[in-house]
Amino acid sequence: MKNTIETTSDSYHIEYLRFCKYVLHTPTKAIQLSFPQMLELRRKINAKTTYKSLNAIVNNENFVLLFVADKQHLLFLEIPQLIKLKEEIAVFFETPDFILA
Amino acid sequence: MNTIVRKQMSIHPDVMDLLNNQIAMEMKASASYLAMASWCDQRELLNSKAFFYKQAEEEREHAMKIFEFINDNGGAAISPNVNGVNNDFESLLSIFELGLEQEISVTQSIYKIFKAARKNDDFITEVFLQWFINEQSEEEDAFRSIIDIFNLMEGMPLKMIDERIPTE
Ligand SMILES: [Fe+2]
Ligand SMILES: [Fe+2]
Repeated sequence: MKNTIETTSDSYHIEYLRFCKYVLHTPTKAIQLSFPQMLELRRKINAKTTYKSLNAIVNNENFVLLFVADKQHLLFLEIPQLIKLKEEIAVFFETPDFILA
Repeated sequence: MNTIVRKQMSIHPDVMDLLNNQIAMEMKASASYLAMASWCDQRELLNSKAFFYKQAEEEREHAMKIFEFINDNGGAAISPNVNGVNNDFESLLSIFELGLEQEISVTQSIYKIFKAARKNDDFITEVFLQWFINEQSEEEDAFRSIIDIFNLMEGMPLKMIDERIPTE
């Protein structure tokens, strides 16, 4: 896989490099994302974490596979990780300046 | 919205989600009017058929207006799934009544986005939506006027009523 940088971080977080360059750190790799790729990740994660969708995941295989960065990377996410990533993305998109400052 | 996201997009992400839902609603409305046009077309209701083909086109234009607005402002417009289109109708009057109901729910949906834009200080979307609010008022009026024709011409042959339907 392209753009994979090993990292020691054990959780999911998003790092801002510069305009339209972001890094999604996962426990196993760091994935570079452009802004459109971030928007697509947000859309997918939000769709997967609706009440209905979470129920369906729990009642079936209990994990989701998610393509990110224009299908260059595949994420394996169990429910807690999925929720963590959702929160991380919500913080990225929603947190007003006065909280980040 | 924080500075990082603000540099990338000028509309609010939550409002963008609602706008994407609205694209789906407009495309669904377009598909629904197409079904109505077909029903009329098959029954040689020429003015009604022209009216609904025109409506179907207009709804697609509304969807495209929002679609381009989202992308122009740095967001991600989503091409929607359109399913569950009803092709089965009872009568010409019931079709126009369904049309009015559909227009009212579109109006309500636009109001909801307008309120969300206001709440999130998304003034760009707020101004953009003003056109849609005027448009919806005209659309509702068009359907109400047609339903009035049915009431005024009660008991007349359907063909004569159809001749009174404006084609746009
Ligand atoms: Fe419309
Ligand atoms: Fe309409």
